[in-house]
Amino acid sequence: MTLRAVYDSENIYFLIEWADASESIDNTDAGDRLALLWQVSEISGFEITGCNQACHSGFPTGMWLEEEGQGADFWLWEAANTNALGIMDDRYLGYSLGEDWQFADAGDWESGSRADIHAQAIWADGIWTLEISRALDTGDNAIGADGTPVDVTFLEMLYNPDRIPGPMRRIGAAGSTNPADWQPISWREALTEITTRLQSLRDAGESHRVAFALGETRGQMKDLFERFAAAYGTPNMSRYDSVSHQLVKTACLLTLGRYDLLAYDLENTTFILNFGGSLLEAGRSTHRYISGISFSRRGGSNRSKMVTIDPRYSVTAAKSDEWLTINPGTDAMLAMGMARFIVGNRLYDEEFVRNYTMGFEDFNDENGATHQGFRSLVLSEAYDLERVEAITGVEATTIARLAGEFAQSRAPIATLPIRGGLHTGNANGLYTAMAVMSLNALVGNLEKPGGVLIQRDIPYTDWPEYYVDDTMIASLAQPRIDGADDDPLAESIIQNLGDGLSNSNPYSTDMLFLYHVNPSYIMPGGQTFADSLQNVGLVVDFSSFLTETAAHADLILPDHTFLERWQDVPWEGLGYAGFGLAQPVIPPLHNTMHTGDVLLTFAQALGGSVRQALPYDTFVDLLQYRTSTLENSNWETMTRIGKWGTGPHPFAEWGSENWQNLVGRDRRDLYQDGRFDFWSRELFYRLSGLHPTEVGIQATGDAVLMPHYEPVHYHGDETEYPFILNTYQLMALGDPEYTANLPTLQEIIGMHVGIRWDGWVEMHHEEAEYLGLINGEQVWVESEFGRVQTRLKVVKSNHSQVVNFPDGQGHTANGRFSNGRGANPNALLPLESALAGTASFSNTRVKVYKVEG
Amino acid sequence: MTRWGMVIDLDKCVACQGCTVACRMENNTPIVSPEQSEMGRSILWNEVFPIEEHAEFAAEDTNATFIPRPCMHCDNPPCIKVCPVEATFKSDETGGQVLQRYDRCIGCRFCTLACPYGVRYFNWHEPQWSPEIALHLNPNSEVEPRPKGIVEKCTFCIQRLHEALELAEEEGRNFRPEDYQPACVQTCTGKARFFGDLDNPDSTVSQLAGSRRAFRLLEELGTNPKVIYLKEG
Repeated sequence: MTLRAVYDSENIYFLIEWADASESIDNTDAGDRLALLWQVSEISGFEITGCNQACHSGFPTGMWLEEEGQGADFWLWEAANTNALGIMDDRYLGYSLGEDWQFADAGDWESGSRADIHAQAIWADGIWTLEISRALDTGDNAIGADGTPVDVTFLEMLYNPDRIPGPMRRIGAAGSTNPADWQPISWREALTEITTRLQSLRDAGESHRVAFALGETRGQMKDLFERFAAAYGTPNMSRYDSVSHQLVKTACLLTLGRYDLLAYDLENTTFILNFGGSLLEAGRSTHRYISGISFSRRGGSNRSKMVTIDPRYSVTAAKSDEWLTINPGTDAMLAMGMARFIVGNRLYDEEFVRNYTMGFEDFNDENGATHQGFRSLVLSEAYDLERVEAITGVEATTIARLAGEFAQSRAPIATLPIRGGLHTGNANGLYTAMAVMSLNALVGNLEKPGGVLIQRDIPYTDWPEYYVDDTMIASLAQPRIDGADDDPLAESIIQNLGDGLSNSNPYSTDMLFLYHVNPSYIMPGGQTFADSLQNVGLVVDFSSFLTETAAHADLILPDHTFLERWQDVPWEGLGYAGFGLAQPVIPPLHNTMHTGDVLLTFAQALGGSVRQALPYDTFVDLLQYRTSTLENSNWETMTRIGKWGTGPHPFAEWGSENWQNLVGRDRRDLYQDGRFDFWSRELFYRLSGLHPTEVGIQATGDAVLMPHYEPVHYHGDETEYPFILNTYQLMALGDPEYTANLPTLQEIIGMHVGIRWDGWVEMHHEEAEYLGLINGEQVWVESEFGRVQTRLKVVKSNHSQVVNFPDGQGHTANGRFSNGRGANPNALLPLESALAGTASFSNTRVKVYKVEG
Repeated sequence: MTRWGMVIDLDKCVACQGCTVACRMENNTPIVSPEQSEMGRSILWNEVFPIEEHAEFAAEDTNATFIPRPCMHCDNPPCIKVCPVEATFKSDETGGQVLQRYDRCIGCRFCTLACPYGVRYFNWHEPQWSPEIALHLNPNSEVEPRPKGIVEKCTFCIQRLHEALELAEEEGRNFRPEDYQPACVQTCTGKARFFGDLDNPDSTVSQLAGSRRAFRLLEELGTNPKVIYLKEG
């Protein structure tokens, strides 16, 4: 054999010739093949035995290296396979003991780093002549990015050893994470089985028996799911929003007439009044909040002041100029007290309040009945500052000072929390969010520089029309499994889904699709969700990890990770419309499939109206179509720069046509008049025919329709359960469900309390001393609903009657790095839903005691 | 002469630990097991600390400060003086980084004791990654994982300086200071970090170093750190 090599500035080339009497193009061991093995790290014995060093005769399988840290690149040419494609198969060998450790690079024989070696051979006159070329640097293994820890550790997610490598069927007991209980299947088999089932349900007029549960789903994936469900004919689309931001969106609808999250002009604001939001740690768009708030912390008179109101001394509180240790669940009282001071001292924006709001003053309706307005509500005895002080624990003088500062600051904003203190198990949270919104209205900061911005929509290309028949209409009109149509405000209620599934109420569910959501883990009282899946004909999970929920699925059809897939990611929190166009930076590492492509495969196979509604072969086709009419761009530009956007923010002048189109848009037609509602007409309409007490509202009279304070009712007697449980999201883990299985994040998880690789509960040092509990010891945390064991962290600063318990640990499934560390506080919380479908995170009392023995 | 330095504005830093993680991904610091990290053996060259954790004298409950802490790259580094084998040195020809010659280090750990900032890390074990996760290691040979028994530390991402110099040469142009940025600076979401030549009076870092808010950690020890902090507020 002769081997020659040359290289230029870009490529290396090989010419290999060897004698072979016959040309054997045979896809078995008898076929002609040639392999090149390259040491990536030193392999002992390699210089003598070469590739034999990795061959293990006597063992049933394969090739591997026998010392830790060893690795080899492995290029394989086969006369039967790769030669026809003009490549060598780019593979690699690694260290293991007794197990085949030979894998292909990412991609397949036609694309990706697996196909980046070009090779072609010819056989003539008893000689094989093989030419090989490869780029000197193929760019594989490139790294470099910016962002918060979750973003920067994405490589540990992409290459995570616990990723599900391909479609699987469960053949063992529900909940099993034992690989023997999961059988790899082909995509064809999985997709055929599902399509057949979808088709027969639809043919039988039972398409409503198919349900979807979605986690954080945005952009065209959200639209695709919704459109698929509508065209297929099921009303059963449950979102994780009811354990997340549904309530905040609802509060915006009831006041501003927009069912949406707000954006804040953080760069130009001068005063941030932060109600309970861990803006920097767990904001809805963490990047956005960090970069905006950091920018506002510049020198001189432009520097913003940030005041955080939270029982917990969060990182955000630590970074604030002032922290108010408020009594839990009383934020509405504080906001109303501030509103009282602002109204009483005429510090509000009179122009805005007079011309662009509804229900500030008392008024008479068309029937002549008199209604109380916001002014007289806040000036009533209920919100006397002494009383506000008694309930909130914040001194009246502080309330007055901060209300004055807020109202007189040049560009103030009051920010809404996303979760935390709002999920109080009753109407308290909804009215709290409305009260905070009202502070923004009082100071007239809507659509002003440095103020609250209304998020603009992306003008995607209109969808094609599709045919709707009577069967579909009947199916879509069926009651929802999650019971959201019984709530006057809820879009969906994911925490009720389990109940509907278990009890076949209102009918039995035949198929459930789970997308990027792990209800058994993330929901208060979610541990029972998994059991409810037994009552579903076929459960399909698109998860990348064998989570607590996925382990109970019948089929797992793993999605690509975000580094391997196309996705539009609409920008949130900037106000103006735009999205990031995420593109694969690496071909899929595993046998995964874009869930968008999976749904489109179903649509193709189902045909009829579903195909009409979704006439795209791939998700990329769909994305191209939906972005085809966006202004000032085209697909080529978008893919090159990775985004489409319209900034800067087009502030809408109050009362302008633009303003009229924005404010009130999502209210019923009659109320689309460009006014901010202190007295909510939308809520009046939604509650018509209901007595407020039926939906858990304690107030009476006009206060029902206005922001006000409602006390929280806690589960558990105060004497037996002295602490209020406050669960919170960690900056290190963020929201995505897989993050606890990233080892580097485990290593930095409790930076602010000095804990790694574990969970904990935080208690004020005086309380711990009183109870004789020692920092770092194991304790039980117990509520009426259960008890969990975790480590005690004694902290200096915190509300003394509150214990904080971070979310994110206590996995029982998910992966090797996360399982069995700490505890999941959701096991201490009730499975229930309050007005607007809100799950309960902060209405439970607990006791904390030593683990004996 | 160039003197590379870093300014960290604590008013803008929100303790997100993006720098900690970016440093790990760039420099291949090993993941340490739960048991080892419980013993204080985590190897994170650029950690973020809450000051109250370590300062019992904090009078008020509510004045916790978070401080990200890379190597200070002292102009007068105490770690160098104690090294018996000249494994650690100040690299004046590349702009004053304090570096470690891994092939000379004998693992005596004098330097880890001498460093008042605790930025030197000893490898108690061979680095361990599951084979899958090891695939993401930075392939740059300058940051090849360090073996058991030696000390490693922040280098201001010296490999990035070398890469930037090579690139400038390839492109036939002069090297520009902005070509060289450590990973922690590049990743910072709040733009709280600045990097540049402290000897150039026009550089951002020189100007910020003259701010009324500027201070250095443990200045009284005379180590002359090239990492300068800006106070909050």
